[in-house]
Amino acid sequence: MSATTNSSSGRGGVGISATAPPPRRVTTTIRSSNRIFDGVSWVVLVVAAIAWLLPSLWALKTSFTSNGTSAVGAQAILNDWALTFDSYLTLIKGGDLWNWYLASAVTGVLTVVISMFVCSLAAFALSRMNFRGKKWAMGAILVGIMIPSQVLIVPLFAELNQMGMLGTYWAVILPQVPQVIAVFVFKRFFDGLPRDYEEAALIDGASWWRIYTSVIVPMARPVIAAMSIVTFVWVWNNLLLPLFVLSNPKLMTIPVGLATVQGSFGQRVSDIQASSILGALPLVVLFLIFQRQVIEGVAGSGIKG
Amino acid sequence: MSSPTPHRASPRFGRRALLSGALGAAATTTLSACGSPLSAGLVGGQLAPGTVQYWNLFGGGDGVRMITMEDVYRKNHGGPSSLEAATFTWGNPYYTKLSLATLANSPPDVAVAHLTRATNLARGGLLSEITDADLALVGLSQSDFSAKPFEKAKTDGKLYALPLDTHPFVLYYNTDVCQKAGLLDSDGLLKPIQGAAEFEAALTAAKKVTGAYGLSVSTIADQATCWRWFTTLYHQQNGATEFFGNGRELTYNQDIAIKTLEYMQSLTIKKELVPTTNDYAGAGTMLFTGKVGFYLEGEWEITTAQSVKDFKFGMTTIPQIFDQPATQGDSHSFVLPKVKHTPEQRKLAMGFVKSMLDQSLTWAKGGHIPSYKPVLDSQQYRDLTPQKYYAGVVDYVTYDSPAWYSGSGSTFENIIGAQIGLVEQGIATPKQGLDAAVAQFKTYVNTADPLA
Amino acid sequence: MSAAPAAPAPAAAIDPSTKTTPARGARRMTRTAWGFLGPFAVFYVLFLIWPVIYMFISSLFNTTLVHRGLGSFAGLANYREMLGKNEFWVSMWNTIYFTLLTVPPLVFIAFVLAVLANRVQRGQWFFRLAFFLPFILPSAAIALIWNYIFTPATGLWPTIQGWFGDTNPQSVLGTPDLAMVGIALTTVWWTIGFNFVLFLAGLQEIPREIYEAAAVDGASAWQQIKSITVPLLGPTTGLVVLLQIIASLKIFDQVYLMTGGGPGISTEVVLQLVTNTAFTDYRVGAASAASVLLFIVILLVTLVREIIERASAKSKREN
Repeated sequence: MSATTNSSSGRGGVGISATAPPPRRVTTTIRSSNRIFDGVSWVVLVVAAIAWLLPSLWALKTSFTSNGTSAVGAQAILNDWALTFDSYLTLIKGGDLWNWYLASAVTGVLTVVISMFVCSLAAFALSRMNFRGKKWAMGAILVGIMIPSQVLIVPLFAELNQMGMLGTYWAVILPQVPQVIAVFVFKRFFDGLPRDYEEAALIDGASWWRIYTSVIVPMARPVIAAMSIVTFVWVWNNLLLPLFVLSNPKLMTIPVGLATVQGSFGQRVSDIQASSILGALPLVVLFLIFQRQVIEGVAGSGIKG
Repeated sequence: MSSPTPHRASPRFGRRALLSGALGAAATTTLSACGSPLSAGLVGGQLAPGTVQYWNLFGGGDGVRMITMEDVYRKNHGGPSSLEAATFTWGNPYYTKLSLATLANSPPDVAVAHLTRATNLARGGLLSEITDADLALVGLSQSDFSAKPFEKAKTDGKLYALPLDTHPFVLYYNTDVCQKAGLLDSDGLLKPIQGAAEFEAALTAAKKVTGAYGLSVSTIADQATCWRWFTTLYHQQNGATEFFGNGRELTYNQDIAIKTLEYMQSLTIKKELVPTTNDYAGAGTMLFTGKVGFYLEGEWEITTAQSVKDFKFGMTTIPQIFDQPATQGDSHSFVLPKVKHTPEQRKLAMGFVKSMLDQSLTWAKGGHIPSYKPVLDSQQYRDLTPQKYYAGVVDYVTYDSPAWYSGSGSTFENIIGAQIGLVEQGIATPKQGLDAAVAQFKTYVNTADPLA
Repeated sequence: MSAAPAAPAPAAAIDPSTKTTPARGARRMTRTAWGFLGPFAVFYVLFLIWPVIYMFISSLFNTTLVHRGLGSFAGLANYREMLGKNEFWVSMWNTIYFTLLTVPPLVFIAFVLAVLANRVQRGQWFFRLAFFLPFILPSAAIALIWNYIFTPATGLWPTIQGWFGDTNPQSVLGTPDLAMVGIALTTVWWTIGFNFVLFLAGLQEIPREIYEAAAVDGASAWQQIKSITVPLLGPTTGLVVLLQIIASLKIFDQVYLMTGGGPGISTEVVLQLVTNTAFTDYRVGAASAASVLLFIVILLVTLVREIIERASAKSKREN
């Protein structure tokens, strides 16, 4: 059995790993001899940041320029600063954009809710219980991490076809529920949580289910939040699976819609750029609100991805 | 420790509760409407059963014209909600979507398909047969259709598609340039061109006027056009055989194929009458801006050409450069993907097709040669210029050789078109290009037909 | 072992660490545990394990998309076809070429940016935003933006080339030799944030005292980076490289969206060959064979990673 120490950390700090030390504040003792180096660092960073922001800004600028101007070319877009919302209005009024948002939101939320629930349950059992077949279960998890799910697109399609689920949101949701990495991250986190409470609770006659809901889940909120958001972003952005299982434009998720139904925008460059901005917007907002969770989640799942 | 409540998990998710709350609100408003995307997405079933769902692959001018025709249908059939139309990326992506949607049991009621592709869809069991009874539902009969495309619409003797048009590869010319080059007759029409010598003389004359090139045709990122130009020239030669024999063997004439590629390359590289690198839009722009006198593309680019201000142009058949006239072409048609339909839905779908056929003149203004005889034989169509100068081409249009991997925008066109483009650009020799394409076809030719 | 329903375990279920439980209690615990594991196990088997098995099975048959069932037995014909045809090797090479083009810059640039960003005290949030934000955007949006930038003649890219005197530049995505470079450039821009964040996390675990001690000893910033940061970030770098290789081998989105594999098949990658074969050519069996081959390649890389990780963990323990 794993140790029951480490009761001190686990809630604040990096959050994803209960045992990780809190980040260190950068002290202000920079030697003057390094001033030049830091100056150069700054310049490099600023130049890189500008280079990195440029494509997005360019798309943004184009989307606020009239279709007539943008059809002429880049130089015309740079010269024309009469900004317009026309492209956004066109997209909001017509087309299937709202249906795409709906599909992305429904598939994203349902996948996250179901996935986080079943993954945390499994991780809880693996972390806290001793049972026959545990070694097998752990082995299965380790094997699962190695399986590149994208490569399974063809057999998955065939399976969903036989299940009669093609063309419904479930064809996107259900295959993305087993997030093996989430089980792994949760288990690692649970392993680091103190056991005092649950030992007392067990002696008081509490059930495992109750320990899960009222001890583990509350303590694991930061890690569940981080994994939820990362999973949501992943599901929202996934192209491969929904591209082939959702064929009706009314049911498409945002990426699939952007990728396939361009014809209706014709060569209207500004409208296309506005559609890409609108497709990305929910995630930008999500990122700005949950910046810490997103980054922790990515770093946490990446470490053992 | 607080006592556990059965549903405590959801408030514990904090901010997400907000999201799911909003979602719940959205669900109650949209789920109530049967056939809404949300209910269809969650519990399956048909989307908006009362309306016609229609998919097509029309971009550019065709797309605009099709939207006009759709609007006419809506106006005559009960308003905006009577029709839901969607346009997909042309070529394989469209046909893949159509196939997958049919497998997923959620296809559109009506879809557009090239006749060269409809056969394969039918053989894959993805289309439902159109019977005489279906035609009669909306007052149509077999004799309403132009014979050649109608025959092509049959697979194993059964009708699976209703042809809307025939769309040949044609020659566009810039009237001003050709006037200055002395290539027009007294009516302002292009003087007939016959044979390679006359053709190149005309291109050379135009090149002198433009100071750039004589003719433009798209050579990069556009496999379909490369193939159209190649196969047009190929079939103009005596002894040219079909590319495949029933899809299981390569039956093309290698000497003629090489000769054709050599000719195409001589126009771009040696004689510099045709620019080496042009994409689809770029080739058209060269004609519109007077950098060339001639331009090769399907007749549908008429819409773009007409929209260019102060631009005068004419259209005619591709000159007979070699032994016999030939022009690559295909037909757009309407198909009914296989799905359980009630008789009312069937009638609705056929009614939509009929409405589109009735508007064939609108479609013909976009360059296409109608298949629907009442329009084809009408005086209004016969008077359309410049359409009337190439309408006769229907009789000798060459459709792509049938195979499970061929047809407009197919894997076949993608493979060979890419190589033709490289040859035209001078990146590959004719032999290299053909060998590379043939090597890729071998797999297809040797593979059991998955549709059989 | 059956997955019994998650019956709320009564009082008899006792902490495993107290060894007083007889066999009955252990059995009950096993039942309860599998109740907790059950829901995940169902999804895991249905959507992860079964597809793998089905992939192997159908790769041995002439399975098609449009006919029910597995179709006729093909033996190893699908594998022979794939291994024998140029298109497979072209797409495999393209996949590897893409990996070679993207991994070094993705690792190196992310490393440099993270080291620099870790040193600055003000505005770190801004750099994190700038570098990380593209990573969480949908590939479809990224492709629309970059396709437009690369548009021949009128796009931003050729326009900038024009400013530098190249008035008739080659089309980036339309030229066989350049197209993959364009896709790689887009990918570096899109995904650098992931590595950046991993490196930053790694950097923040290096105790500040080490730098301070080095500074007291008179080490310059450059020396500190060379002799402290680089070696201490070694494990993170190894991890990043391997994650990156695996991610690159699975490339699909960018190619599908930006070039569709073209011009010709000059940018076609294996996953695209797989989906084209299955969904455009209707040949599920052959597509499965190609999937298996890619699956094996990725698995090999993953195994190499496991081995390296174990070896380094072992050597750490020995130290």
